[in-house]
Amino acid sequence: MSAIAFEGVTRRFGAYAAIEDIQFDVRPGSFVSVVGPSGCGKSTLLNLAAGLLAPTSGVVRILDQPLDGLNRHAAYMFQQDALLPWKTVLGNVALGLRFRGVASRQAEARAREWVVRVGLERFERAYPAQLSGGMRKRAAMAQSWIVDPAILLMDEPFSALDVHTRHRMEAELLSLWTASPKTILFVTHDLEDAIALSDEVMVLSAGPASRVVATRRGSGAAARSDRYPHQPAFRRDLSGNLVQIAAGSAGEL
Amino acid sequence: MSARHSAGLIAAQAALGAAILAGWQALANAGKLDKFFFSRPSDIAARIVQWVRSGSIWPHLITTIEEAAAGFLLGAALGVIFGFALARSPKLGALLDPYIRLLNALPRVVLAPIFLLWFGLGIWSKVALGVTVVFFIVFFNTHQGVRDVDPVLVNNARMLGASEWQLARHVLIPSALTWVFSSLQVSIGFAMIAAVVGEYLGAARGVGYLIAQAEGTFDTTGVFAGMTVLSAVVLLVGWGVARLERWLLRWKS
Repeated sequence: MSAIAFEGVTRRFGAYAAIEDIQFDVRPGSFVSVVGPSGCGKSTLLNLAAGLLAPTSGVVRILDQPLDGLNRHAAYMFQQDALLPWKTVLGNVALGLRFRGVASRQAEARAREWVVRVGLERFERAYPAQLSGGMRKRAAMAQSWIVDPAILLMDEPFSALDVHTRHRMEAELLSLWTASPKTILFVTHDLEDAIALSDEVMVLSAGPASRVVATRRGSGAAARSDRYPHQPAFRRDLSGNLVQIAAGSAGEL
Repeated sequence: MSARHSAGLIAAQAALGAAILAGWQALANAGKLDKFFFSRPSDIAARIVQWVRSGSIWPHLITTIEEAAAGFLLGAALGVIFGFALARSPKLGALLDPYIRLLNALPRVVLAPIFLLWFGLGIWSKVALGVTVVFFIVFFNTHQGVRDVDPVLVNNARMLGASEWQLARHVLIPSALTWVFSSLQVSIGFAMIAAVVGEYLGAARGVGYLIAQAEGTFDTTGVFAGMTVLSAVVLLVGWGVARLERWLLRWKS
């Protein structure tokens, strides 16, 4: 069984092939990172997995079923802020439940639990514009986890944050994931992050017509037992190894 | 904001107004300004006091406000509905585009006599005029607001499971209303102007009618008194609308 499977997936925009003949398989419950230089089609890959884009050729399978239309098993954390600016933190976090027809009082009660879980209890009545970038990401994280999706798609969700906040968010992501293991497809351009967080790292070549040029084990599996940070030596090793591979086939990472 | 509200500035503004009124009064008293053409501030004030004391002003004022309010509400409702429909259906939008431009290019004043013919001397001819003014302001703002909505917000809501209706209700319409709210001052002001212009051209009641009556009898004091009352009401409404706008868009800060 696989959570996400790409079978010879190609996506063109007009004459431009963003990704070509992509083939991979993500096991349920694993944390897979996708790295590659900017413009290599990482976001296209996620949008295909989300069903926001349809492949030009090839098949995307979600939980072994061919994907047609939106991926109903996945939540998506975008790179940009995607909170509704006219709703409070609580309203935003409750959104997914409201869309699924949960009564507003019940949805709010459950949203409140999540707001507490991501440490925003003092800000549940605040609007996104009144929050810092890191707090907005926490709210976004609660918003996507509350619907308890089997799959979580993350498109450089923390790239706009400063290094310190980013690492804290990543640690929190790992602890959430430890508590409730989901399949995570995490796109980033930061190799260090990819290795630190994930079970598996997938390297894409530079676009156009990006392909998967390497897959390596990350140290994330280890992180599940002893959390963050992980064994630095292993990380350095792998990092050097991957940079070589990437430099060989994909140019600068 | 603080500069605008500083006590010194308010004092200077009041002094300027007082100086202009005092100068006007002095020139009129000295016979340099013909009272027949220019009236006098003291006469105008006395007239307003007389109107308020006798209560004769209220039916006129209430009529004007009713017309403006009805014109605004009807025009805004139609503007939101059409703006939304045309933004969501590009084909319909493209079909109607030249006609909407054509109608909007028309000076509304020329419609007033026709509306008088169609709807009579009562409030509905003025409401119709108000609708034609407010409709276009709200229509264009709604249209823009729906089309300009951040695609990330739309994708996020769809990934969270929003149906078409939920997408409209939680994302598209609030986004459009943001634009509508920020043009509230303009559209309510225009609704007032339309009501007064309509009354001016033919009515049995209203502040515009009052001014037209005074002009018809060369009663300049009545004209100025009517203008003063009208300006005061427009300022008061504007102040209320500004507060309403601030509350409706409180999430923007």
